[in-house]
Amino acid sequence: MLAFALRRVSQLLVTAIVSSFLLFVVTEFSPGTVSRQILGPYALPNQVALLDQKLGLSQSLPQRYLNWVSILVGLKSNPLGDPALGLNLSDPRGDRYFGNFGYSLMFRQPVRDVLAGPLANSALLGAVAMAFIVPLSLLIGIMAGANAGTRLDRLLSLGSLIVTSIPEYAAGVILLTVFVSYLNWLPGTSPLLASEQWSIASQLVLPVTVLTLASAGYVARIVRASMADTMTKPYVRTALLKGLTKSQIVTRHVIRNGMIPPMTVLLLQLNWLVGGVVVCESIFAYPGVGRLLLQAGLFGDLALVQTITLISLAMAAITQLLADMSYMALNPRVRLT
Amino acid sequence: MSGDRDHPYLPRLRSQLADNKIDRREFLRTATLLGVSASAAMMMAGQTSPARAQETPKAGGSIRIENKNASADPAVMTSIDSSNATRQTLEYLTETGADNITRPYLLESWKPSEDLRSWTLNVRKGVKWQDGRDFTSDDVAWNIKRLLADETGSSVLGLMKGYMLNDSKGADGKTTHALWDANAIEKVDDHTVRLNLKVAQIAVPEHLFHYSFAMVDPTASPIFRAGINGTGPFRVVELSPGRNVVYEPNKNYWGQRPYLDKLEFVDYGDERAAVPAALISGQIQGILNAEPQQMPLLRNQPHLQLYEVLTGDGPALRFRVDLKPFDNPKVRLALKLGVDNAAVAKLALGDMGSAGENHQVAPVHPEYFKLPAFTQDIARAKQLLAEAGFPDGLQFEVAVTKTPAYHVLVVQAIVEMWKQIGVNATINVMPTSAYYDVWTKLPVGLTSWAHRPLGVMNIGLAYRSGAPWNESGYNNPEFDRLLTQAESVADPVERRKVMEPIEKLLQEDGPMIQATWRKQATFYAKSVGGFSMHPSQYVFARNLWLKA
Repeated sequence: MLAFALRRVSQLLVTAIVSSFLLFVVTEFSPGTVSRQILGPYALPNQVALLDQKLGLSQSLPQRYLNWVSILVGLKSNPLGDPALGLNLSDPRGDRYFGNFGYSLMFRQPVRDVLAGPLANSALLGAVAMAFIVPLSLLIGIMAGANAGTRLDRLLSLGSLIVTSIPEYAAGVILLTVFVSYLNWLPGTSPLLASEQWSIASQLVLPVTVLTLASAGYVARIVRASMADTMTKPYVRTALLKGLTKSQIVTRHVIRNGMIPPMTVLLLQLNWLVGGVVVCESIFAYPGVGRLLLQAGLFGDLALVQTITLISLAMAAITQLLADMSYMALNPRVRLT
Repeated sequence: MSGDRDHPYLPRLRSQLADNKIDRREFLRTATLLGVSASAAMMMAGQTSPARAQETPKAGGSIRIENKNASADPAVMTSIDSSNATRQTLEYLTETGADNITRPYLLESWKPSEDLRSWTLNVRKGVKWQDGRDFTSDDVAWNIKRLLADETGSSVLGLMKGYMLNDSKGADGKTTHALWDANAIEKVDDHTVRLNLKVAQIAVPEHLFHYSFAMVDPTASPIFRAGINGTGPFRVVELSPGRNVVYEPNKNYWGQRPYLDKLEFVDYGDERAAVPAALISGQIQGILNAEPQQMPLLRNQPHLQLYEVLTGDGPALRFRVDLKPFDNPKVRLALKLGVDNAAVAKLALGDMGSAGENHQVAPVHPEYFKLPAFTQDIARAKQLLAEAGFPDGLQFEVAVTKTPAYHVLVVQAIVEMWKQIGVNATINVMPTSAYYDVWTKLPVGLTSWAHRPLGVMNIGLAYRSGAPWNESGYNNPEFDRLLTQAESVADPVERRKVMEPIEKLLQEDGPMIQATWRKQATFYAKSVGGFSMHPSQYVFARNLWLKA
């Protein structure tokens, strides 16, 4: 168990290094420069060149990558924070510490400060959405899977399929038209700023609904497939012949075994919810990580894009690690070598 | 009213008004330009005070408005949004109103010399920073010097370079700038600054209202943040970049105290689709501007009021005249004659647009000269192309930015029309930032030109030979001569005479198709009073109030 965990952690590190470097290569080819973004279209070329130089953007790619890693682990201080440059960037934590993700040039603040709020907001949205996605998809999936081939199964499967195939932006626009434009029951956006008319909770309703619609149908179909497959196993027939009722078989034997594949998918949803819900967060102007990533990408805010991507990577690796662990818990026969 | 110290041109201006040679609006514009206060000019023009609003503003209440914000140095601001955020706290020396008239603001008045090469700026007495310190000519001189320095990185430099700075190339080949004369920015006394110009310039008051020209406190950091020391009607109590800014009234404000108890700007980022939803459900009471495609939805909301204004905002589809085949004036004219500007405006902007005349001087500009209509002429266009040696037509690529969305529609409409004269152009839709990295080098591209209050301003920036923003490489000594002449004429009638050949020349020979003018429109809740749509989308929250 320990050896397995250690091996997975080291794999995680390798993935992080390789992918963060790939990230650098990709961002190298992104159009436009940050200096141009900061100074705008009307700045003269010499003004842009001057800022490029201050920001160290004229250095070579590997050199910038090494700088970034050294700053991240606290070996080097961030040259952008030097007051002599006149960039007015400063970090209250000091200039050298472990976990220094650098400065967001779009917001002129340390990445950690920029990211703290959106990360908490995305976690809130993700947690509330998961509270609906998990019970709903399990219920539908188990009901459909345990009754595979019946009319109930077809009805639930078709319903899930339809809901899954509605893209997030379409679902968002439909819900906005109905509940905001016509009925005026809900606020049209979710900036998470409370007003007399609209509480924070009311602002969560539409984004959570969109996420639940997008995800629950898909997860339910995975659960159904796995359940239906498990239902055909010989031990189910044995249990039936032994005289157990169908509900006893489902709750005692099938669910436990049928949950292994959906577990991975469910944990992947967690990863998507915190950091990947760009579309939904954008439609409702929800101040989360997904929307921030989009903004940062469009601006060319390297440090911010890198940090968010690294966090997503870490989330992916950790949730998969959890999934592997839960395999073992659900089925001790699984031997991971 | 017309004392000894008035500009010698004033009496003539008054007689022109009396003879109906110029309209009241032009009289007001030029008179204020020549240093007459707006109220005095209105009295001369026979109007004692501006038309009064029907309702008396009430104090109290709070409102939310959609507007992006950032925590940056106002000197390097690149968007109207950011300037709206700072505008409530940091003020300008002058102010161009929604009526396109520029008036003194932190200045009490200005006075140009007869040759328009020396501008005396009289700083308003009694203006105070939030911390209680007096606003003086030292603050003004320091701010202007800072904005003109290379290290600051401000777009003011490009704007004033022609008449305030000299440039020199260093040994490393890099261009640097310095004041053209040690006395260019001269402090006369505690409340007087004189700008001594290298060449005559009429648009100095307008330039002083360029959005990066906000006055910041020389004794503190210029970065826009909570607690920043400004002279404005509101103080920033909370600022989360990318999220919101919260303001409260500045109790020590030197002018009329604002009506609102609290003002909040909410940042919806680039999520334009989210904005109408927020307005409809009452989360915000106003938006920066409405996109053409959002108009039908917002018009149908009974609690919203539409505000609109025609502007001099018109993108130019320009050709690099140093590249073949665009170096040939016949080709350029043929490409213009192949396009029906009115149809382009209708297709791209619907009710929000009107046709341009390919010379980039708008009907809202005071010196606009109305030329005979420029109409599409396919036969002549084909003939010109044949004469230029392209009887089989042309092929090239047109670059355009992704935003604003209607720019792509303008290019699509033009490209379709060109097919009738045998021109097959492909469209390259580029991310906006990528476009502006190469905008001056692209062979053919559609560039955004924002509204500016005078007709000579945009054409001076874009088509004067050697100008930094001359993206087409246009180089026509005759145009340069006429433009310089126009810029030195304070008289709108005289200037309009010079504008006639300028407009004709650009229309016939110029490097661009300028097909559309756009209206700016926005919606505010009917409960908000005191709003008027500014052609540059500027928001002055000191005028806003909440109806009971």
